[in-house]
Amino acid sequence: MLFGRNQKNPIKIADKKVTEWKYATCGYCSTGCSIEVGLNTEGKAVASRGVGGADVNRGKLCLKGIFEHELFDSAGRGTEPLIRDQFHDEWKTTDWDTALNKTHDEFVRIQEKYGRDSIAIVSTGQMLTEEFYTLGKLTRGLIGTNNYDGNTTLCMASAVSGYKRSFGSDGPPGCYEDFENTDCLIAWGSNLPEQHPIIYWRMKEAQEKRGFPLIVIDPRVTMLAQNADMHLTITPGTDVVLQNALMHVILKEGLEDRAYIDANTNGIEDLEAEVAKYDPTTAAKVCGIDEDTIQNIARLFAKAGTAMQIWTMGINQSTHGSDGVVGINNLALITGNVGKPGGTSLSITGQCNAMGTREWSSCSGLPNHRYLENPEDREEMAKFWGIDPEFFPKKRGLFQTDIYPAIETGQIKGLWLIATNPMSSLPNTARIRKSMERLEFCVVQDCYQDTESAQYANVFLPAGTWAEKEGVMTNTERRVNIVKPVIKPHGNSKADLWIFNQMAERFNTEGKINFPEKPADIFLEMGELSKGRLADISGMNHELIEQNRGIQWPYTEAQAERGEAPPQGGKRLYTEAATFRYPDGKAKLIPLPFIDNNEVPDEKYPYWLNTGRLIEHWHGRSKTGKLSNNNKYSPIPFIELNPDAAKELGVLAGEYVRLISRRSDAVVIAQLTHRVPKNMIFLPFHFYDCANRLTLGLLDPHSRQPAYKQSAVRIERAADQQAAAKLSMEMRTF
Amino acid sequence: MFEVRSDEPKYAFLWDKETRAQNVYGAPIDTVPKGDQLREQSLNINGDDDIGENPNRYKQHGFFFTADNCIACHACEAACSEKNDNPGHIAFRSVGFVEGGSYPDYQRMNISMACNHCDDPVCLTGCPTRAYTKFAEYGAVLQDPDICFGCGYCTWVCPYNAPQLDPVKGEVSKCNMCVDRLEVGLKPACVTACLGNALDFGVIENIPEGRTQSKTEIPGFPRTDITNPNIRFQQTATTPREMTRTDSMSVKYHRNDEAGRFEAVVDKKHGEKRAWGIETLLTSHENAHAIFTLSTQAVMGAFLLLVTGSWFGLPVQEFKQSAGFIPLLIILVAMQSFGLFKLTMHLGKPHRFYRGFNNLRLSPVSREIAGVSAFFTGLLGYSFFSLFDFSVTNLLAGLFAVIGLIGVAAGSYYMYKLYRIPARPFWNHWQTATAFYGNMLSLGSLMTGIFAVLFMQNPAGLIQPLAITAALGLCIEIIGHLFHARDLQKGEGEGASSYYEQTTTFGKTYLLRNTLLGINLLLAIILAYTGLSSYAGILIATALGLSLLVMTYLGRILFYALVIPTTMPGAFFWKNKGFVEHARETGLANMQQLGVVYERHNPFNVKELLETIKETNLKTLLANTRTILTGK
Repeated sequence: MLFGRNQKNPIKIADKKVTEWKYATCGYCSTGCSIEVGLNTEGKAVASRGVGGADVNRGKLCLKGIFEHELFDSAGRGTEPLIRDQFHDEWKTTDWDTALNKTHDEFVRIQEKYGRDSIAIVSTGQMLTEEFYTLGKLTRGLIGTNNYDGNTTLCMASAVSGYKRSFGSDGPPGCYEDFENTDCLIAWGSNLPEQHPIIYWRMKEAQEKRGFPLIVIDPRVTMLAQNADMHLTITPGTDVVLQNALMHVILKEGLEDRAYIDANTNGIEDLEAEVAKYDPTTAAKVCGIDEDTIQNIARLFAKAGTAMQIWTMGINQSTHGSDGVVGINNLALITGNVGKPGGTSLSITGQCNAMGTREWSSCSGLPNHRYLENPEDREEMAKFWGIDPEFFPKKRGLFQTDIYPAIETGQIKGLWLIATNPMSSLPNTARIRKSMERLEFCVVQDCYQDTESAQYANVFLPAGTWAEKEGVMTNTERRVNIVKPVIKPHGNSKADLWIFNQMAERFNTEGKINFPEKPADIFLEMGELSKGRLADISGMNHELIEQNRGIQWPYTEAQAERGEAPPQGGKRLYTEAATFRYPDGKAKLIPLPFIDNNEVPDEKYPYWLNTGRLIEHWHGRSKTGKLSNNNKYSPIPFIELNPDAAKELGVLAGEYVRLISRRSDAVVIAQLTHRVPKNMIFLPFHFYDCANRLTLGLLDPHSRQPAYKQSAVRIERAADQQAAAKLSMEMRTF
Repeated sequence: MFEVRSDEPKYAFLWDKETRAQNVYGAPIDTVPKGDQLREQSLNINGDDDIGENPNRYKQHGFFFTADNCIACHACEAACSEKNDNPGHIAFRSVGFVEGGSYPDYQRMNISMACNHCDDPVCLTGCPTRAYTKFAEYGAVLQDPDICFGCGYCTWVCPYNAPQLDPVKGEVSKCNMCVDRLEVGLKPACVTACLGNALDFGVIENIPEGRTQSKTEIPGFPRTDITNPNIRFQQTATTPREMTRTDSMSVKYHRNDEAGRFEAVVDKKHGEKRAWGIETLLTSHENAHAIFTLSTQAVMGAFLLLVTGSWFGLPVQEFKQSAGFIPLLIILVAMQSFGLFKLTMHLGKPHRFYRGFNNLRLSPVSREIAGVSAFFTGLLGYSFFSLFDFSVTNLLAGLFAVIGLIGVAAGSYYMYKLYRIPARPFWNHWQTATAFYGNMLSLGSLMTGIFAVLFMQNPAGLIQPLAITAALGLCIEIIGHLFHARDLQKGEGEGASSYYEQTTTFGKTYLLRNTLLGINLLLAIILAYTGLSSYAGILIATALGLSLLVMTYLGRILFYALVIPTTMPGAFFWKNKGFVEHARETGLANMQQLGVVYERHNPFNVKELLETIKETNLKTLLANTRTILTGK
């Protein structure tokens, strides 16, 4: 059947001539996949593959990871430090010394003139942990501004806050292995197939092997919702009501785990009193889930041998984000589902090293979950770093979302933006733009010089990206994994760590603080600081981490000395009774009254605006928007619009529409689909000058995280389709 | 050999322990019998002459797709493009989807599709250059871009959109089944990358562990009877009765309870508004085909009239003796040359034009090219020897006329035949023949008529029979169109959708074409009746001539623009023809990261042609010729 030719021609298959594979951890989401980057004979990164023996991803990668090697020399990378007097001047190329001196001098000038806190430093979840730790040391120990935060406030703050409120400390107690052991899984506002594809695969594998009921709570029919055993199309922003109603049924029917509650928690009485108000009939009217379903789910969840809850931005990005997390924790606690194989409340984190910044950046306090509010913590850290404890503020300063209003009203005059792009990522862009214009001095440190925020910078510091650097990251299941430099930073850009150390040198004139240069040494310093704490990493070092393809914390010095090898996976927190992080070891059951403060659709703005992520893009697209093999699946912004709504609006598939909110407007192309209800649109947040022109972003009272997912808009068909197409295209130059 | 890593996960390895003897279509799964000389040969992948140790090396392999599980994560596509080093605008594998139901009872079914390495690969039989081979090893259908000249015919005939024509490189490439991985027992890269546990691969008819079904069709997947594709599906979730496509194709899929399957029906996506669509028509890349086919048909028609007119009693002898004969021949040669030039230059690699003959044994395209070349040879010889009037030259002119006639017969037949593509229902109708032959008669008459009027003392005697011939051509064309429209309307699937587009997106142009067709027939009849006797006659003739040209051109560009292939559903941006066109119109396509490139003309690489001539010795040339003719 050699058909077509009688003579066999040699076959040519693309050969990238990879001569060396280098180990790294993926720099996109928090799943923490182990990846190998292939270098060809010229030392150019030409291939990526998942590491077969890594427990997290077991050889798999998502489409972003598969093309991650193309990032190094992608368009828009910064190659030289840039400088200018005014943000409206032309950039001038400069050398590192000039750029760093200028930054230092301006910070000093502004702080002298307006006070220490008139400088804000906004960092990220994208850097390596040693870099976070060093930046934290520089900020808390030398620069001394208390207005220091990360963009993790936009994604994980509610989870952090909820964990702290319930368990006494941040730190997700579960792990991926829980999927393989659970008897019931509830996904709250989490769309694994799109957001965390490898975690989805782990879940799917477990599901195909054992089978367990999957309940998805999401107003949109995502692929996960579609494949779920039960899909609860909740009214946006009412998760707390559903949680209270579920607890109402569980407690009323005596399905709770009394022994666990007694041994591990405080506050059951107050909780009982509060949830008594949420009978399913009443709750159904608010959250849009009928009473039968509420009862059914409550019983299923409570009666399951072990039950697991995961959540992502559907919970976190809400005015009840922190409460939603507490509600999930409450549900887990009253049914005894914490710290057990298959029984957990696991926050599926966002950025690759959101966990690292939570643990080590000192944004919300001091390293390794130490608090500024705690005098002993201040004392200990000051001694360790060799500074005066009085230099530390006595409580944490502003969150990122409060920093911008403070710029707007003039309390903050200088800004250092590191690997984050608030012009795309913060709600209500118009306000952010105004704030940026008001700054006296702004320095942007990023691996891309074409980020929208750099428009307003006076100094641009080109940073290395991902595997141009060395250091560790922590993933969703608390696994510390390592990134090794695959190639040297692009052009004359430098590793963020180098930049921090250089900056530290300028502030550290008395030489009182030690700033080690090598990431491996910094890691050991961090190990020292972690001893005996929840996130104990003292048994790890860079070499051991690479050998094990990542190690979950805690892994202590004592374990290492005993010769106890780190487990492949399956490490959990709070596995012993009464080991929560409150002084008495008990977790708190916190009652959650529901206050409806969302912007809800009305006559003038009749559609819910739901924002979210697409698998092919990463955040503001400064990375994925450059790579055609990622970007091509959604190169311009679009909405999912219900066909019945489209009919009323006179919109045909593929036409441009204008979305109008109380803040501003945006032009997008319409995809018609029944994935969304008639009174809701879904708009991916990745695109510049789009979703966040519209969002209100009301802040959660505990976490200060914005409610990106609950706003109201009006839709108009663009009368001039060609003009709309042009407008949409112009905004894509970034 | 491909490197198998020490920590290669278990799921990456092929799993077939036992295999069946026959596939669902009744063909043997063994690609060649035991002891066949095709066994135990190296695939010579990138110059490596090792032979793989896969125990199922001579069994037909195929993909197994669990449609219930696909989450459209694009990992398969990414892994494929990463391995094959493909730029954004080329994808050997793509994921599209169909969806149905009403919120929240909504279902989206994603379909990941690459090449199905069919039992009857129409790409292989269609390719004029013989760039395709179906290998005994794994039954893989592989294409060699080094042979391809970028005509894109394989992309027309394949029902699954597997071959990818790259406008930048000017060549086709496609899924290679990752035969390098198969040789060492690994599944293809796309399968290994799958995150939904949807895509699997193995010896055909083998059902992977944990799967219970093995279907040959799912909603949105084109019919299988064209090529007997080697793909099997599991899809147990009950889908809504109607599944729609999100791309711009006006096709949806409706469950036919009697047939127990989903059938393609019209989806009137863009409403009922009638438009001209003229911009799309005029800027189409297929216009080279329109120019080539029309000029060839006009020239063939005129040639037929000149050579055989007298057999039917047409007074062409008189014309041949007039001053108009030689100018007409010169124009015919010029027109045919121009048509051939346009056709050649529209190839991705025009300097490889000579490879068009390579697949005479199987490809209608090769035969068309051979036929038209014979015709052109005949026309040239006939024209040249008609310059003289000796008995020898007359004899030679006669001889070339015969060659020309053979060329007309073969060329025109295969020109029609090559459009009878099952995956392109709009073309796959006898109307294509009536349009082509009808145009041959009407345009041939027009050409001859123009020169008769311009150069003959008394053209009246010729004009009337020419008008009758033209009328006959127009009649044939009208009959074809009537039946075509009727059959498309009552039919289903992509043909019906083409009809919908014909009457909406291009509705006004279509109406104009039809009106002109009617008017032309009327004018031709009047002219046949009245002749050029008066000013009115001359006016009618002029009007007819102009209107005929406009009509045939509109008709032909509509013919190319309207075809809707029975292809895989696309997504909203990716593999959506509507978005691709939009991106090209607005300039979005200028961004390389968009994954859309412009159609373009590729240069005639004289250097490559000269090198080929230099490197090809007489022996190879003779061997190639023998292969073309005998297949051996």
